[in-house]
Amino acid sequence: MWDNLTINEVVEYAKDPYPSIRKWIKDKGKKVVGSTFADVPEEVIHAFGFLPVTIMGTNKPLKKAPSHLPDNACSLARSNLELVLSYEGDLFDGFVLPQVCDTTQHLSDIWRINFPDKYVESYLAPRQADRPSARYWVKEEIERIISSLSGWSGKKIVEEDLWEAIKIHNENKTLLKEIYEIKKKNPAALTNKELFALMKLSQQVDKAELNQSLKKIKNSLQSGKNNGYTDVILVGITCDPPEIYDLFDEVRLNIVGDTLLVGTRYIQGIVPTNGNPIDALTERHFRRGFFSPIHDNVYKNFEEVKALYKETQARAVIYVHIEFCESQEYDLPDLKRMIKNEGILMHTLDTEYQTLSLSHVRTRLQAFFESLKGGSL
Amino acid sequence: MNLTSKQMSKKITDEYMDDAFHAHEKGKLIGYSTAISPVELFVAHDIIPIYPENHAVANLTAKKGAELCSVVESMGYTNHLCAYARSDLAYRKTGITVTKGIPEPDLFLACNAQCFTLTKWFQVLARKGNLPVFVFDTPEHVMDSNTRKEIVKYCVLQLKELISFLEEVTKRKFDYDRLKEVMKYSAESSILYKKFLDMAQYKPSPISIFDALIGMAIAVYRRGTQECVDYYQTLCDEIQAKVDQGIGVLPKEKEKYRLYWENLPVWFKFSDHAKLLGSYGGVILTSLYVHAWSFEFDLDKDPLVTLAENYVSRFSNSTIEDRADMATELFKKYSMNGMIMFMNRSCKAVSFAVPTLKEILTKRTGIPALVFESDMGDQRFYSETQIRTRIEAYFETLDRLQP
Ligand code: SF4
Ligand code: SF4
Repeated sequence: MWDNLTINEVVEYAKDPYPSIRKWIKDKGKKVVGSTFADVPEEVIHAFGFLPVTIMGTNKPLKKAPSHLPDNACSLARSNLELVLSYEGDLFDGFVLPQVCDTTQHLSDIWRINFPDKYVESYLAPRQADRPSARYWVKEEIERIISSLSGWSGKKIVEEDLWEAIKIHNENKTLLKEIYEIKKKNPAALTNKELFALMKLSQQVDKAELNQSLKKIKNSLQSGKNNGYTDVILVGITCDPPEIYDLFDEVRLNIVGDTLLVGTRYIQGIVPTNGNPIDALTERHFRRGFFSPIHDNVYKNFEEVKALYKETQARAVIYVHIEFCESQEYDLPDLKRMIKNEGILMHTLDTEYQTLSLSHVRTRLQAFFESLKGGSL
Repeated sequence: MNLTSKQMSKKITDEYMDDAFHAHEKGKLIGYSTAISPVELFVAHDIIPIYPENHAVANLTAKKGAELCSVVESMGYTNHLCAYARSDLAYRKTGITVTKGIPEPDLFLACNAQCFTLTKWFQVLARKGNLPVFVFDTPEHVMDSNTRKEIVKYCVLQLKELISFLEEVTKRKFDYDRLKEVMKYSAESSILYKKFLDMAQYKPSPISIFDALIGMAIAVYRRGTQECVDYYQTLCDEIQAKVDQGIGVLPKEKEKYRLYWENLPVWFKFSDHAKLLGSYGGVILTSLYVHAWSFEFDLDKDPLVTLAENYVSRFSNSTIEDRADMATELFKKYSMNGMIMFMNRSCKAVSFAVPTLKEILTKRTGIPALVFESDMGDQRFYSETQIRTRIEAYFETLDRLQP
């Protein structure tokens, strides 16, 4: 189903992957396990023969979530809860929900209480990452998730199952990386929207199939007229709604680097393939880049952004802020200051899931872009 | 002459702050700590714990919230972050305070059993002075008992790391015997503190949550000391004397509604609320919040294990179902017949559970709940008439239900 998609189809599917997931599971008779951001080891779910699906909000109206969460809950949390309560809940057989911040901790409680008949497990990743205990804990958690999934499904997995899953996931990330590289040098080869749709869909559908499409898409990419683009990097957690990418495309911004969970931070999840698979999955956790809710040092974020900026020779940084995300909001003023002191231009986009009107984003982005072309701000 | 609990509280607080302001002269360091954190390790290592939250409470109670919180917005922070954090960051910038302020930190201990917000807030402070922060990460105390064992192991490992961190910062060896002594004081004072809170079960109740909140301060910042034990002993004796004489917050015949309060107080309104409720025969007896410091340390266990077990299992780090169980216990024990559920914009860590908790509690107890939204410290989010009307309407409902 996902093994022979054109890039246009990928964009369509990424917008709403659920009908295709429904059809696929009916054909395959498989179970679906949903997760929210971030760092749940998808490979483990896959190794059990389930389809891991990262839940990334919905554009459909909020009906039920507001009575469970106050209006200053981050819009990603509200949107995710809405998706399962009102729209796609029946599709999932179970969930493994990570707790990364105060919001997600409560979200998983609310989620569990609302789905008493489904499998709901928490993934308690450490919210410190600099000390040996963090590594100990990640490994413990991965082992615990394996035994929990095993208890639920009555299945056992062996090392080979994990290696097989890791292979497919690594291949997916490698292909995305290669496509990203092409796009960086040939902005006309594919749009920002297309690139990020590939990365989004990769986290939601069967990767063994999608990898086939990725290979074909990669081989079909051609460079067109590459002039007139301005290189920028995108910083944040996610960037939604996807129409924001259309705005970037309109003004010909070329995203040459990012730190998003739906972008580079996902691709950074390639698992080392030596030793034992659980150690390898643990090791991966610490190789990934900064993620404000769980890493303890905004300097890391700054250093990462600075390095990316230098390496890509981008012209500016666009920071995507999710409305009411506290983790971002405590970091942002200092991050802005540090980036500014470095002489780097930075533009902050305030985003909200469920947003339909992007006119304010457009106006601000255009103004920023004009000043970028003019060379000063 | 023996001091009253009030006099003792003042003396303890004055001496503590004096000690803190002169810490460096005495070769001691100031460690900023979250209110719920294994501060016993600080005390045992002669680091003076300072709680920016307490200082924030003083300013917010004195109605400085809106002024301070507007300042912080001009610094680039959004207006829905925790009002403790907001007012603190603004205090750093302006020096505005109703107390003498608090001494500057040398290091930070952020325990996320209370909330993750504090970690982020302390990191902001630490960046300013390039100071060390230790994050004591307490995964949610989920319900599965095997997982809990694993979590405690992880927390014990971290406490060992914390000890190495303290040794490194202070260049002094940690004294485990001293820790045992500190634990003894903590254990004793926790028992007494709980005894004090539990006196709200008498009819009429000799204390309201207002007393509990005032009486809570010493448990927060002086636990692990002999004086903390003495203070709670005196406090318990005083309240017991009231009980013996049948003295209640409201007279026995007036005490109609024994209420539960969910969340932190609206600091700048709390005494007003107490008066308003009192005029209807309502007295707020308790909340999970004030119980957060009634630890049950087991002195027969390795101190690090009992510390880990206690700190990870606070209500704020428990699942909503466990919170509901804890609250239900309180309903039974204190014979409560009403509940006010405050949705506090400032504190997501507590408030996000409120709608679900309310559902569970009303279902279990059959008692209707009053839910209202506001902010614990920023007056700009408080609507006087709306809240008054809701409280009045709530009592009318309760009156109709009263036999
Ligand atoms: S990290 Fe931010 S965006 Fe993500 S769930 Fe938490 S509050 Fe929401
Ligand atoms: S009020 Fe809530 S958010 Fe603020 S420090 Fe306390 S627990 Fe954390």
